[in-house]
Amino acid sequence: MRKYIGQSMLLFLACATTLFAFAWVRVWVVSLLDMGQFKTILDQFREFEKFAPIEFDALFTYAGRVGMTYDEPIVILCTVVWCISRGSDVVSGELNRGTLEMMLAQPIRRVTLLATHATVSVAGLALLCLMVWGGITVGIEATTVTETVDPPAFRIPMINIDVPLTVAEPVTEEIPLRQRVNSSTYAASTFSLFAFGFFLLGLSSMFSAFDRYRWRTVGAVVGVYILQLVMFGLGKAAASLEWLLSMTFFSCYRPQKMTSLVANEGLGAPWSLATPIPDGAFPPLVYPLLLITLGMICYGIGGRHFSRRDLPAPL
Amino acid sequence: MTETHNIIDNLDAAEEATTNKEAFTPCLVRLCCVAVEAECVRSIVDHQAQQITIESRILNLPVPPTPTSHNDASMADRGADTVPCERYTDRPSDTADDGCIVEAINLTKRFGTFEALVNCSMRVSPGEVFGLLGPNGAGKTTLIRSMLGFLQPTSGHCIIAGHDNRRSSVRLREQVAYLPGDARVPRHMRGLGVLKFFAEMHPVGDLTRSREVAERLELDTRRRVGSMSTGMRQKLALSVVLGLQTPVIILDEPTANLDPTIRAEVLKLVVEARQAGRTVLLSSHVLGEIEDTCQRVVFLRHGHLVKELAMADLFQRHRVTAGPPENAVEASSPTPEIQIKIPEALRTRVQSQTVTEEGRTRIQIETAGDLAPLLPWLDSLKLTNLRIEPLGLRAVYDSVHHGEDTSGLEDEL
Repeated sequence: MRKYIGQSMLLFLACATTLFAFAWVRVWVVSLLDMGQFKTILDQFREFEKFAPIEFDALFTYAGRVGMTYDEPIVILCTVVWCISRGSDVVSGELNRGTLEMMLAQPIRRVTLLATHATVSVAGLALLCLMVWGGITVGIEATTVTETVDPPAFRIPMINIDVPLTVAEPVTEEIPLRQRVNSSTYAASTFSLFAFGFFLLGLSSMFSAFDRYRWRTVGAVVGVYILQLVMFGLGKAAASLEWLLSMTFFSCYRPQKMTSLVANEGLGAPWSLATPIPDGAFPPLVYPLLLITLGMICYGIGGRHFSRRDLPAPL
Repeated sequence: MTETHNIIDNLDAAEEATTNKEAFTPCLVRLCCVAVEAECVRSIVDHQAQQITIESRILNLPVPPTPTSHNDASMADRGADTVPCERYTDRPSDTADDGCIVEAINLTKRFGTFEALVNCSMRVSPGEVFGLLGPNGAGKTTLIRSMLGFLQPTSGHCIIAGHDNRRSSVRLREQVAYLPGDARVPRHMRGLGVLKFFAEMHPVGDLTRSREVAERLELDTRRRVGSMSTGMRQKLALSVVLGLQTPVIILDEPTANLDPTIRAEVLKLVVEARQAGRTVLLSSHVLGEIEDTCQRVVFLRHGHLVKELAMADLFQRHRVTAGPPENAVEASSPTPEIQIKIPEALRTRVQSQTVTEEGRTRIQIETAGDLAPLLPWLDSLKLTNLRIEPLGLRAVYDSVHHGEDTSGLEDEL
């Protein structure tokens, strides 16, 4: 295990630093933009709302905008890089480097080797997800937002026009973001990110267990990833291809939906296994659990094959 | 043992003959030459004495006196030499019922239609250094890797120290220290870290021992593996493997990429392991290493185990090279055949052929078994410029490599 920790430490530190810093900065950026100014513009694009991972209304809340962090390309990229690089390393990486021979010359079971590697990788993934959450939390705690308090107004009935009751300028005030957003809102989103990564780890470990070249393993996993992404996009784009959504694991990655659920139904809502989510077939917890189950199935297939396969001599 | 007596008696007789002036004939001069040359191989006639001599040479120890009486006492000496063997062989699980510690039974490995290994069976006794020889692609590494479970045999199985590779592969590997042909260790670690890592991973790992081996191999363990040369990495892997106190050691090309001094040190370590009662399976292309360390050797070709040879028997094989008899007329042909008559009693042990060396016609006679009974016959041939040399592993290796029929003489062995 120490070997695997040592091997992955550099990548972990790089990813962890990036994720933590990005999440923090991302929250700070949220405080700079007043999305209310864009409301009119966004209303023009309501018909494209289905392509967005979140309802547009959520973009006008701090919680919703902070929650978008989980769909940011950098967060996804770092998670994917960690999962594919660590997952592809376990068998084909060791075979490629020629170090597996010496490792398995020791009296350890192949499955033990795989499990040890998986333990380190999954723990690393969990820490990375916590880093995102940690960055968000620190960002929320450290950021203040400027809010404009409009002067009291009177709405004329029938014509719905607001008439200010005073001629004073609107008041602006600095408010800590923590008064608007609770960081525990993102626990479910963090778990969703973990489940997404776990599936990718399992998938790449399975490919690795079948292969002898790491580059080919990475290529295969990235190929599957892109294919699934394209299926997800097509499923969203065309009603006739909506069936594709049920065949892509991206459908199970819904961090912003979790944020919305918390905002609308409370902190416990995303952990429900009983009530299906709006516009969804399953209760919210089923989606990450599906990803975790698929990841475990991949690990199982990989472990089974690895324990039976011939290991080629070092190249 | 009797054969050894014979040759010594014969050599003594030859020496006596040289002191008799009346009998100082050219014929006896030749016999004397035979005797002198045979003297060179006298020490290797007896396998036990030879092995002790070689090991002493490798270990730079004083060469023990060659036993003059070859009886079971020499075996007792041998037993004393390998007392620590009992450390392993006493344990019932370490050896099969009949005392062999490594047994491959009809191991076959196919990759698609390609047969990499075909029905290979062999047995290795405890405390033995056992050589694996064969050209590239013959199946040596496949055999080893199938035995250890890196490859799943198509059929057959292997038992090492009582553990079957199909059923208890992990327990089997507890008994084995294995050096792969291309040993690579994690590059991000330092040398000492690698030694610690593997010493902790193996139940019989011993960091102190690994460090001792590394010191003997002149390895700087403070360096990072990534910055080590190929030879240094090989030394590191050897330190890992030879640091393990397992009853069986399997070394695949252990001296590859090493300089001659370190090669010799590695061979010393192999011999020391054998003296400690450990069993060593050694695959190498360096015939000298096999000759110096192994008691038995098997040859593989195209995945078939084609020959098994006890080194003691090999050392009984000789090649006699000589010119034609003095009175023979060579003028008739540029490369005349030299005709010799092999007595019926010697036919199974002698083969001859005419060869040309530097434009001169020579006869080559290959002999198997005790040389002593052949000396009078050789003398009777009245050959000139006679030279006797041990045949060595090279000749056998070449014949196996080229797929020549090596029956006949070798059957005798």
